[in-house]
Formats: sequence, C-alpha cells, structure tokens
Amino acid sequence: AAGAAGAAATGLTGLAPVSEARAQTVRGETKVTKNICAQCPARCGIDVYTTDGKVHGIYGDTGNPIANGKLCPKGHLGSYFLYDPDRFKGPMRRTNPNKGRHEDPGFVPISWDEAFDTIAARLNDLRAKGESHRFAHFYGRGWGASDAGLYGDFGKLYGTPNSAIGHASMCAEGSKKAKHATDGNNSYNAHDLRKTNYMLIMGASFLEAFRPYNNMMQMWGEMRSKSPRTQVTCVDVRMNPTMAAADRALYIKPATDGAFALALAHVILTEGLWDRDFVGDFFNLNQRFQAGQRIRPGSFNEKWVHGLTEWWNEEVKDRTPEWAETITGIPARHIRQTAIEFGSTRPAIAIFERGPTGHTNGTYNGMAIHALNALVGSMFTEGGLFYQMGTPYGALPANADDFMDDYAKNGAWKSQPRIDMARTELWPMTAHMMQEAGPNHLKGDPYKMDTAMFFYTNPLWTAPDPKVWEEALKDVFVIDTSPFPGETAMYADLVLPESTYLERLQDSPTYPFEGWPMSALRVPAVDPIYDTKHFGDMLIEIGKRINGPTGDYYRIIDNVENVLRHRASGFAANPGDNGVTDFESWKEKGVWYRKPYHWRFIRGDFYEWDGQRYGILMTEDDVKAKLLKTPSGKFEFKSGYLEQYAEYINKELGIPTERVGLVQWVEPKHSGGNRDLYFVTPKTPMHAEGRGANIPHAAAIHQPVAGGRGTVYLEVNPNTARQRGIRNGDRVRVTSDLGSIEAECRFVASHRPDTIVLPFEFGHWAQGRWAKDRGPGHSGEITANVSDPVSGLASYYTGKVTLEKA
Amino acid sequence: MNDNNILKGGAGTALLILSALIFLGSLVVALGNLGSQGHASFNTSSALPWGQPIATYLYFALASSGLGLLASLPLVFGFKQYYPVAKRCVFLAFIILISGMTVLALELGNVFRMLWAIPLNLQIQSAMFWMGVFYALDLLFLLWKFGKLDAGEWDSKTSKQVGIASFIGVLLASGNLALIFGMMSMRPFWFDGLLPIYFYFTGVTSGMAALVFFVYLAHGFNRDKMHPAMQSLMTGALPKMFAALIGGTLLFIAARAITGLYSNNPEINIVWTDYLFASGLYHLSLWVGLLLPFVLMLNGKLRNQVNVQLLVSVLVFLGLFAERFYFVVGGQVVPLFKGTWYPDLIAYTPSVTEWALTIMGWSLAFLLCVLGEKFLNLSAMPDAIAKQGKVHPAIA
Amino acid sequence: MAKWGMVIDLDKCTGCQACTTACAMENNTLPGESWQDVLFYHEGEYPSGQMKWLPRPCMQCEKPSCVYVCPTRATYKDESAGGIVFVDWNKCIGCKYCMIACPYGVRFYSDEKPLIEPDMRDIYPGQNKQLWSPPYQNPKEDWSRGIGIQPPGVVSKCTFCYHKVSQAPEGTVDFDEDNPAVKEYVPACVRTCAPKARYFGDLDVPESQVNQLIGDKHGVRLKDHTGNKPQVYYLGAGAAVPAFTPADKGDKS
Ligand SMILES: Nc1nc2c(c(=O)[nH]1)N[C@H]1C(S)=C(S)[C@@H](COP(=O)(O)OP(=O)(O)OC[C@H]3O[C@@H](n4cnc5c(=O)[nH]c(N)nc54)[C@H](O)[C@@H]3O)O[C@H]1N2
Ligand SMILES: Nc1nc2c(c(=O)[nH]1)N[C@H]1C(S)=C(S)[C@@H](COP(=O)(O)OP(=O)(O)OC[C@H]3O[C@@H](n4cnc5c(=O)[nH]c(N)nc54)[C@H](O)[C@@H]3O)O[C@H]1N2
Ligand code: SF4
Ligand code: SF4
Ligand code: SF4
Ligand code: SF4
Ligand code: SF4
Ligand SMILES: [Mo]
Repeated sequence: AAGAAGAAATGLTGLAPVSEARAQTVRGETKVTKNICAQCPARCGIDVYTTDGKVHGIYGDTGNPIANGKLCPKGHLGSYFLYDPDRFKGPMRRTNPNKGRHEDPGFVPISWDEAFDTIAARLNDLRAKGESHRFAHFYGRGWGASDAGLYGDFGKLYGTPNSAIGHASMCAEGSKKAKHATDGNNSYNAHDLRKTNYMLIMGASFLEAFRPYNNMMQMWGEMRSKSPRTQVTCVDVRMNPTMAAADRALYIKPATDGAFALALAHVILTEGLWDRDFVGDFFNLNQRFQAGQRIRPGSFNEKWVHGLTEWWNEEVKDRTPEWAETITGIPARHIRQTAIEFGSTRPAIAIFERGPTGHTNGTYNGMAIHALNALVGSMFTEGGLFYQMGTPYGALPANADDFMDDYAKNGAWKSQPRIDMARTELWPMTAHMMQEAGPNHLKGDPYKMDTAMFFYTNPLWTAPDPKVWEEALKDVFVIDTSPFPGETAMYADLVLPESTYLERLQDSPTYPFEGWPMSALRVPAVDPIYDTKHFGDMLIEIGKRINGPTGDYYRIIDNVENVLRHRASGFAANPGDNGVTDFESWKEKGVWYRKPYHWRFIRGDFYEWDGQRYGILMTEDDVKAKLLKTPSGKFEFKSGYLEQYAEYINKELGIPTERVGLVQWVEPKHSGGNRDLYFVTPKTPMHAEGRGANIPHAAAIHQPVAGGRGTVYLEVNPNTARQRGIRNGDRVRVTSDLGSIEAECRFVASHRPDTIVLPFEFGHWAQGRWAKDRGPGHSGEITANVSDPVSGLASYYTGKVTLEKA
Repeated sequence: MNDNNILKGGAGTALLILSALIFLGSLVVALGNLGSQGHASFNTSSALPWGQPIATYLYFALASSGLGLLASLPLVFGFKQYYPVAKRCVFLAFIILISGMTVLALELGNVFRMLWAIPLNLQIQSAMFWMGVFYALDLLFLLWKFGKLDAGEWDSKTSKQVGIASFIGVLLASGNLALIFGMMSMRPFWFDGLLPIYFYFTGVTSGMAALVFFVYLAHGFNRDKMHPAMQSLMTGALPKMFAALIGGTLLFIAARAITGLYSNNPEINIVWTDYLFASGLYHLSLWVGLLLPFVLMLNGKLRNQVNVQLLVSVLVFLGLFAERFYFVVGGQVVPLFKGTWYPDLIAYTPSVTEWALTIMGWSLAFLLCVLGEKFLNLSAMPDAIAKQGKVHPAIA
Repeated sequence: MAKWGMVIDLDKCTGCQACTTACAMENNTLPGESWQDVLFYHEGEYPSGQMKWLPRPCMQCEKPSCVYVCPTRATYKDESAGGIVFVDWNKCIGCKYCMIACPYGVRFYSDEKPLIEPDMRDIYPGQNKQLWSPPYQNPKEDWSRGIGIQPPGVVSKCTFCYHKVSQAPEGTVDFDEDNPAVKEYVPACVRTCAPKARYFGDLDVPESQVNQLIGDKHGVRLKDHTGNKPQVYYLGAGAAVPAFTPADKGDKS
C-alpha cells in the first residue's frame, strides 16, 4: 500500500502512448487485499484489486464463508466510497455558529492534534464540573473490537451512561426482542438454510435485504435447486422479488402478521402436525386440539416448551383461519393450506424481520411467528435455526477496571439516566432508544447534552421525524466522524473524517449467520488517500488526552492495530479452519472461523459437540444456560420475561397483566390512524443503509421493479390512484400527521390497494453532490416517532397517510 | 438569354446573405454544442439512437433522389415537356444531397474515420456500405450530368449514358436507403420489402415540392416571367403529376396505416395508435400537409394557380418532412428489451442541437440553391424546346 | 476453437443486479450504460399479479445482425475468440446502425445525455482520448475489441469479459467461479452471481456444464425467431419477454 496516496493523485499512470489505433495494454502490477464490505451488516469478505495504487475491482472473497466469492450489487461499488469526490479530506472545524439545512457550516481545516485537544478539553472540563454524563456517543454500524467494542470501557472510565447509544431501536430490535421473550436469546437467528425444506418468510426481505443478504441469495440458489426443492411461502404487504419468486405469495394487511401466525399455530395444533419431539404430546395419545375447545390443564405433556396449555386455552383455540381472514385479509383457505404445508414439511422455518415488527404490536407479532418454529421443532435442528457463537478473542493489554478513578467509580454521572431513557422506567425493556435522544434533548428532559460524537450513524436523516433532530442538535457540540458530508456532518462543530473501509484495519465478528464463530478483518488496500483516521484510533487518541488514569489506560491500548493484535492472540488456542492462528495469518486470509456450531437438537434431546460429533447429551440446566435462556429453560409460549414487565406492558399496550406473557394477537395502533393508506418504505437491493445515495451507479439502477433510474417512484395500485384522480407518472403528495412529501408515482398493479410503497433511499438534503436533493421527499419526514414499547423499535412501517395529486 | 431569374439580381443577393447567415448561425450553434457536449447535446439515446438528424438526412436524400428521378423524365425517358426543369432538377438533386450528407456527417460519432474505414473494410453485407457506394455514385453522376447539361450537351450519346447511369444510381441509392430500414426484421414498423417503392414515390413527391418551390422562387413567384415552355409545364403536366404523386403518397401511407392498425403486433400497431395517431403534429402533417394539398390539386382550376401550387409545395415539403421524422422515430419508439426502465413508448423530441442541424441543412440547401440560380443558368433547356416556345400538351 | 456460451437460470436468479454492477465496475461503463441489464416486467394485478425479470447481456449471436449491418466491420464476430462479437473502437464511426439492428437492445452509445447528474464525464474528464477517466479504472485495455474505457463517438457492448476469459488456460471448458484455478478468468457477471444463476463455458464441447444444463433444463434462446441464434441460453420459467404493453396511464376509470 505504500506510495498509494501519491499514485492516487496522478491519474492515469502507465497508460500506453496513445495512437489512433490503441492496442492491448495492461497497466502495472495488480495486488489483492482482504477486506469486508461495509455497505450493510452482512459483512461479506471481499478481495480488493489494486493496481498502481488505484483500487479498481472488488469481488467476493472465495475464502470467506459468507461471501463465498460472491457479492450483492452494492459490493462491487465500493471503490466509489474510496474515490467519492465529496469526501472530507481532513479534520475540520465549524466557523458558522448557526446550524440548519441552509446554513453553510463554513468548515475550515485543522490538525488532528487540534481536533483531539479541543475534544479532550471539553470532556475534561465536563468531567471536572461533574457533568460528564452530558457527553454522548452515538453509533450505527459498529464493526467490532477495534471501534464500537471500545465504547464500553470509554464510558466507564470517563464516566458517562451515554457511551454508547446504538441505532438498534431504529433498526430491527423487534425480532431480537421476540426471540428474547420466547427462547431467551436477545438476538437475530442463525439459520441452516442449506438443509431447510420449507420457508415461511414474513416481512423479511429475503431477496433484497434480509441478513446476510448476499449469502441469502446464495442459499436461495441452493434451496431452489436442491432435491427436494425448498418450498417458499412469502407473506408481505407489497409485491417484491421475494414475493414474485416464492411458490406462494400472500399479501397481508400491514401489522397483522401475528394473527396470521396464530392461525397457522391453530391449524398445526388442530391438525396434529406439531413436532412431538420438541413440543411433547397429550398424555392420552388419542386426545386432540379442537377449535374453540379448551384442553384440561395437565393433560398435555410439555417437553421443551412452556405454557402450551394456557396458550391454547387462552389464545390459540379461537384463532381459526376464518378469524384470521377477517384481520389479515388473507383468505382462510390459503392460511390453512400454508399451515398444513408448514406443519408437515421438516425441517421448516419461519423467518421475519422489520415487516411484522415495525409496528406498535411488533414484538407480539414476532413472537407468534417465532412460536411456529417451536411448534414444528426447528429450534437447533439440522435445517433449522439457532444462535450465533462469539469469537474467542484474546484480552486487551490492559483491563479498564484497573484504571478507574474515584469519579469513574462513584461520580455524579452514576445516578444519571441515559439521554435516550433506555433501561429507565420509560423504556425499561430496551437497551437503546436512539430515536428518543434528539427529542429528549430538545425538551431538556432528563437533561441537555453538551457534546455528542457520531460514528456511522446519521439520525438527522434516518431517525423517524428527523426534523426534530435538526432543531435539537442546534445547541449541541457535534462531532461527526463520517468520511462523507451527511446531514449530521452538516451540523458538526468538528468533523473528524474516518478513513473509508478500503483504507482501514478493522475486525468484524459476524452477525448471526450459520452459528459457528467467525471474525473477518479489513486490511487496507491502500494507505488513506486523504488525511483521515480510523475511528478506533480517534477514540484512543481522545482517551489518551483525558486526565487521570484514563489517559494511562489508552496509552497502553495505544492504537487499533495493537488492539487487534491482542484480540488475534485468542486464535492461537483456537486455530481457524482456514489455518488462521495469529494476527499475520488473519491479515493474509481476511477471516478466522471455526466450524461447527456446537449444539443440536436431535430427536427429542439436545446434544453438544464433543470434538467429533454431537456426542454429549445435555441436561435441562445445560440447555437453559446455553440455548433456551428463558426463566423456564424452555421455549415459552407464555413468556416469563414479559411477565417481569407486566405492569409496564399493561400500561403501554392495555393487555391484562395476567395475559401479558402469552404469545397473542395485539391490535396495532397506526400513527395517522384516521388516514386511509398504509405507507411502507422498504430497503431495496441497491440501498446501502443511509450511505448509498451518493453512488451514481447505484442511483442509475436503483429501483428496477418500477423503473427508478436516478430516483425512486412511489408505487401505487392503479385503482387506488384512479380513485384520487392520479395518473401514472403524476407528481403526488403523501401526507401524514407530520406533514407532506412529494414524489412521482408509478402504477404497480400487484400491490395492495391500501398500501403505497416508497423505497427508502433518496430525499437527502446533504450527503454529497449526487445525493443532495435527488428523488422524492424523504420518507422519514412523514414517519411519526412511535415505537413498540416492548422492543423499542421505531414503528417505521406503521404510518397511515393520505395520497393526492400534487 | 435572359431567363428573368430574379435571383440573379439584388433579391438573390439578399436571399444569399440571409440564408448564409442562417446557415452560419445554425452551424455555429450545432458545432458549438457538439464541440462542448458532443452528442450528449442530442436528445437521442441508446434506447432511441436515430433521431431528427437522421430523419433530416433521409428527407434530403430522398428529395434528392426524387429530383433525380424527375430529371430523368426528359433526359432518359424523353418526356420533353420536362426539359425546362431538367437542369434545375439535377442541380437541386445535387445540392440537396450535399446538404443531407452534411447533416449526416455531423450526426456520426467519428466522421472522418468513415472516409477510410468504409472503403478499407468493404463490408458488402451492410446496407449502409452500399448506401455509401450508391450515394457517392449518385453524387458523381449528378455532377457529371450537370456538367453535360451546363455545357449544353442535352442529347449527346454520353449525356444520354450518363443520364441512364444516373437514373440507375438514384434508384439504387434510394432503394438501398429504404432497405436500411426495410430489412430490419427486429424493427417491425420498418420491416417491409416494398419499402423502396414507398421511398421512390414519396421521394419524388418531396422532390417535386422542392422543384415547384424553387422554380417559382427563381421567377419571383411570378409565372409570367417564366419561359413559355416552362409556363406551360407549370400549368400542364407538372401539376397533374404533382397531384398524382401526392395522391399516391397518401395511398401508400393509408396502406401502411391500415396494415399497421390491423396488425396485432404491438411493435407496429402501437406505433400507429399510441404514437402517430396520438400526435397532433402527425395529424397536422397528414391532413394539412398531404390531404389538403391533394384536395387542392384535384381541382383543375386551383391546380394551376400560382399561389395554390406554392402553398401545396410548401405544405407537402413540410408534411413529408414530418412523415420522415415519424417514420424514423416510429420504428424505435417501442422499447426493445427495456422492461420497467421504459414502461411506455420512448419519448423523443429533438434538442436545440438537432434542430440546429436540421436548420443548417435547410439553409445550406437554400444557400447553394440561390448560388446556383445566381451563377448557373438553371432554367436552361435544349434550344429546340426553347425555340418551340410551347410543348405538345398531351403527354403522360 | 471454443464457442463461448452463457446460461442464465431464471429459476434461481433473484434479480439483484449484482451482475449489472459487477460488469459496470469491471468494464468501467458510465451509470446507465448497463452492458448487462436486468429487466423487470409486471403482469396481472393484486392479489395474483406477477413480476418477472431477466438479466440480459449481449447474446453474442451466432448470426449477429449487428455485424451484418456495420459498414466498417468495426463490429465483428471473432470465431477465434470463441465467437465473441466485438466492437473495434479504432474503426467505429458511430453511425449506430448496429444499435438499430440488434434485437436485444444491448448496445450503447455513451456519448449521450447523462442518466445521472452531475455528469461523471465532467467530474472525471477524459484523458488520453478516453471519454472519461475515473480513478478506479480496470488496467486492462484493448480498443480493437472494445475493452477499457471507450473514446468518444463509438458504440460499446458486453465483450463476454474477453480480457478475462482469454487468459484462461488453453482447453478450459467450464468457467466455474468456485474453482480457484479459473475464478479469475470467469466473466464478472457470472463470477459474482450469488445464487449461481449464471454459467459460462464452451458450447462446442458436448459434455460442458453449459451444454448439460441446456440439455437437462431445456434451455431456450430469447427471441429465437429473429434467427440471431444467441450464444446465451435461458433456463426456467419466465424465459420470454412479454409483448410490449404501453403503461396504464390511469386516465380511464
Ligand atoms: N439491501 C440492503 N440490505 C440490507 C440493508 C440495506 O440497507 N440494504 N440494511 C440491513 C439492515 S440495517 C436491516 S435492519 C435489515 C432489514 O431487513 P428486512 O427487515 O428484511 O428489510 P425491510 O426492507 O426493512 O423490510 C422487510 C419487508 O417488510 C415488509 N413489510 C412492511 N410492513 C409489513 C407488515 O406489516 N407485514 C409484513 N409481513 N411485511 C411488512 C416490507 O414490504 C419489506 O418487504 O436489512 C439489512 N440488509
Ligand atoms: N424510512 C425508513 N427509515 C429507516 C429505515 C427504513 O427502512 N425506512 N431503516 C432503518 C434502519 S434498519 C437502520 S439500521 C437505520 C440506519 O440509520 P443510521 O444508523 O443513521 O445509519 P446510516 O444511515 O447507514 O448512516 C450512516 C452514516 O455513516 C456515515 N458513514 C458511511 N461510511 C462511514 C465510515 O466508513 N465511517 C464512519 N464513521 N461513518 C460512515 C454516512 O455518511 C452516514 O451518514 O435507518 C433506519 N431508518
Ligand atoms: S450483502 Fe452486499 S452490501 Fe451487504 S456486505 Fe455483502 S456485498 Fe456488501
Ligand atoms: S447476479 Fe445473478 S441473481 Fe443477480 S440479477 Fe444477475 S443473474 Fe440474477
Ligand atoms: S445481441 Fe445484439 S449486439 Fe449482441 S451479438 Fe446479437 S445482435 Fe449483436
Ligand atoms: S456504430 Fe460503429 S459498430 Fe455500429 S454499425 Fe456503426 S460503425 Fe459499426
Ligand atoms: S460477460 Fe463481462 S462484459 Fe458481458 S455482461 Fe458479463 S460482466 Fe459484462
Ligand atoms: Mo437496520
């Protein structure tokens, strides 16, 4: 990588002399480095091709088990991030004290030392005043030990409860919470899709977004060509590629997935299709579940599940397909048929993500869907689902606990709530509530932030109702670390541009994937082409400047590479399957992993891997400790976890306290409830979270389903449009309780007439020359800040709107 | 011989300056835009690659061929009444072709490369190759023939031979030009083995329109200033033939429209229903540009009036220009393999640069015409005819 | 000599457009100049509407109408290069006749209005006679085969990634990207296709994987009635292009 920065500036090095007839030429030596794509959480390993210091090619890394040599469409466009002409070229300070959409920040370059010293001075000052809690870290896409992994220690040493506020509650907490409530794992699932024979996909965008997207598509190829071919039923609120490619596409009324899933459960039970090995059976083998009829408590021998009898008696017995039809709009015969297929094909899995959970009843919807996985015995089976194992990293060179001064241990900050009020009586069940932080600051309740540092998150654009943030952050000292001029960066008082992912050294343990542990590594393809730094190094440099023992700690930690070398030492005792044993081999291969997954449910029992096979029979306690981490140690149809918050849930959702734990149907509360159309803003394959809008190639082909070249269209059922006098291609106005945005409409006759669709991507007022002002208005601006009280997940897909010709 | 050509005088100079200004103006605009933006200054795209400049070229090429064919009436087939316009026809054919080719050249991505790449590679499978060959020959023969006429060689053996060669050259060139479109089976709107006939016919019609206009222009729109032989042609055979040509053109269009409308093939049918007949301009060109002139020309009295002839020539001139435009664009408006990227017919309206090229072509033709009228004796005719004063009326 | 062929299995294709972006970056095409486009089509309506899609590279026709019409032989079919149809940028005069003649709409004249503004050509102005010169250029260039960044005024198209394919060891029949020995020689669009919906190999070898697939899964060629005889075959349901229907304008109720 040496010398790359120089070459980067010189243009077309080594091009053959031009003659009219130009012959075959090849420029320079090409080298390939390992990296990880950073455009979504899939974390695909990539091979980066660099010639003469210029990155010109990105392909999937064949040695990376997620990528397997493949990429999704965004992966190839990574060079655009590196060479984005709008990138910040070095640290800068704001000169215009006024903040707003139309205010030019007046950034002027400063040195890194000045930047760090300025921040450290503020933080030391706050700490001296006993107000260190007024410093907050916000992060979105954290990667691992070398960046977001450093937050915890920072908060505890410096003394703030706000290190760090993650974007999880603006992302997909609902599916994690649904699993937390039923099987005790506060996590997304890992899946064994290669062996799955039936898939029920509910509001997970399997062929557009669902994690890890690239690998999902690989699995799709396998599932659709293996024998037997995996059958797919897809339940969504709009036409999309997954619906189009599925064997059965069911268009559901938004937010009613719980009702559909409960009806499936009803049929599976009444038809006797449940998995006896996992669920258990009646003591009297001739007994049946009959619609509308209770079963006698104690008549059913529950095996690895808890609360089935009560669940049936209090909920499922009445949840017939006919009942569900009235709620979901899906014909009962389709529900019954799906249930019979799902219940009689093994292994079968039900997956869901932000669709069913992006509503006020999201966690309950998710629980009902996840309950199906238990009913058919897919938890921890071959072809089923499980959870992700962690990477056995080595320890850091210093232990933060040894560097805590008195203030860190007992300072005033200890009694302060987080600015977002997560884990307080307001949001007792959630770890993060980023969407609340802005509004809370604006109200000054619980307090006002003084300084906020943002890493890989841009709530000024991505939060629901982001205009509130535009007001809120006016009097906060904002530090943004994005390499790109995003909306949050436009509010920055200090810009500390991070190196792009192709220029930095960074680890990243996998998101839930196939269960066995894995950590990939970014190796810089080129030295930073501008004056930028790794976020982890920024954090460490600030740490070094904090008074007291904190500075000592960070002087030992020293830098990101040092952190990673220590983390990699853990591989010595756990050599990777690909021969990675230390930092150097990790850099060379780009990934450490170690198969297999350690646990499996086989014909009624759980077994643990003994090094050769699943040979160790697990006790119930073992299972509770490692797999089904619920109060009962079973899969809970009546959630002990939720029951701990019965009062809160009763207050928020009106569910009688004694019923709170049941997997059940809860009516959604739609924001803008008196309006007549549902509004969904899904992710498309070209959408790279909030980071893709400035990529011309992505914009050029953004929305093929409706033809969105350079923009996205509002997709409307033609009948819906006609009723409003709207013609195909008209400019339309979408109005929620918060206000209106405009868009151009395109007819999509296969959409639900009551649901309009605006793919999430454009409508930026910053973020670079191509992104700025491109496309329709920003959907977030008409998305009310309403959240599922249980998971805290912002209800992005629950808004109701009206539509008219603009 | 004083042929009363007003263009030889001050009016001609004024027109010369005017057309030169328009020509230079449009050329500056066209070259300026092409120089700064390249063909991005066109509104064509990879979805619809051929636009108004191609239609303009096609229009000029066919008008030239039409004039060439008209010239061969007296020169090859011995329709003597047409002698008075023969030389002008040959001249107009030549300059209009030059103008068309200029427009085409500026439409190409690499003009000068054409000069060696086409001859050196001899791609005889390509209709465009033959187009190059035949129009080059056509140009050559026109020039040669004009030389002969200018030298007063009306009836010499070589003059006859050149005339025949030129006639064949014109047929081959315009027929082949038709096949550039007519052989494209992947473009059903054009795909038609009889397209050469259609092109001949409409080409002669547009040539006739040009001829009528320029004949009157040369004489200050005053028939009395014409040589009697020419007067009798303009009140006799020519208007009748003009009427017949317009009628034939309408018939051809009707036949194409009816087969197109009847066809189930969307790539033909929809072009008629949703593009051509959906366009007001197309209707205008059809009804006002062709039908109205035909109706006017059917009437024996009106047919011979100067004003009517002039009006008809201008209307037909414009009508057929539109016809060419809609023909070229119509073959491409149905998106080919584009899916939702182009959910509807491809929209195309010419850009400023494309208009500049069209205007440049027109003004160049005008400019060259005035120059010709001014410095060449275009109303010349064989002495026998000139002396006779009047031609036998009953021909054709 | 080999005859290169591609097979696209529509039962597996997810319509993700990775082939499009991989091709765009490998071949440095302008935004919108998608040598490999994915086309979507809608039919029917809620609740039984259909959506189909179809990735579409150049078909490298056995009887390429683009070649027949080109007046300069700039477009040519190179039998010694597996039958790939190339554009020689040193010869092309930009007449665009080939674009008219290609039944599959796969040819591009990039000297046109930018699809995305600001125009990339302004941001990375052309150097060395290139139309534009982005920093992330593929180092491979061969204008006689239309490889690299094109000069202004010429037509471009998919080259079956000849700059990769031609480097494969003599006698390579199946270009399987999962085989480390040939991975680098596999066309970009095939190499990246996550569900493995694309295959590349030698149609002249009866037992090649492409031929096996065409045989077993009833491969078809699109628009075969044109007689162009593509060297790209499609498998699975939906391997046909619905007849064009103008968009529902919405004015009739
Ligand atoms: N391409 C791409 N992939 C990504 C990302 C990206 O930015 N781009 N980001 C990643 C991130 S951060 C996340 S959180 C995941 C999210 O992954 P997903 O949750 O799978 O994706 P979404 O697009 O949010 O929504 C999923 C689907 O829910 C549907 N839906 C909306 N409301 C309902 C409903 O009430 N019921 C049902 N059944 N369906 C409904 C939408 O139509 C959409 O198809 O994607 C990850 N993967
Ligand atoms: N309407 C609607 N809103 C949504 C969603 C939706 O589907 N519809 N999806 C939601 C979901 S699932 C999520 S996860 C959130 C995501 O929302 P955020 O957490 O805000 O994440 P991004 O939008 O990806 O913002 C990332 C920011 O990081 C910056 N960035 C890019 N690369 C780097 C880098 O290398 N280093 C650093 N330090 N910064 C970088 C970019 O400039 C960008 O501003 O959005 C949510 N908002
Ligand atoms: S799925 Fe696509 S965007 Fe996400 S990490 Fe992989 S290649 Fe990158
Ligand atoms: S990459 Fe493969 S799956 Fe994706 S659109 Fe192209 S052919 Fe289809
Ligand atoms: S698909 Fe078109 S461009 Fe490709 S070879 Fe065939 S005719 Fe030529
Ligand atoms: S545009 Fe170029 S390649 Fe196409 S036909 Fe003309 S000269 Fe041949
Ligand atoms: S073969 Fe190569 S050039 Fe052709 S579409 Fe695929 S990636 Fe593009
Ligand atoms: Mo997310």
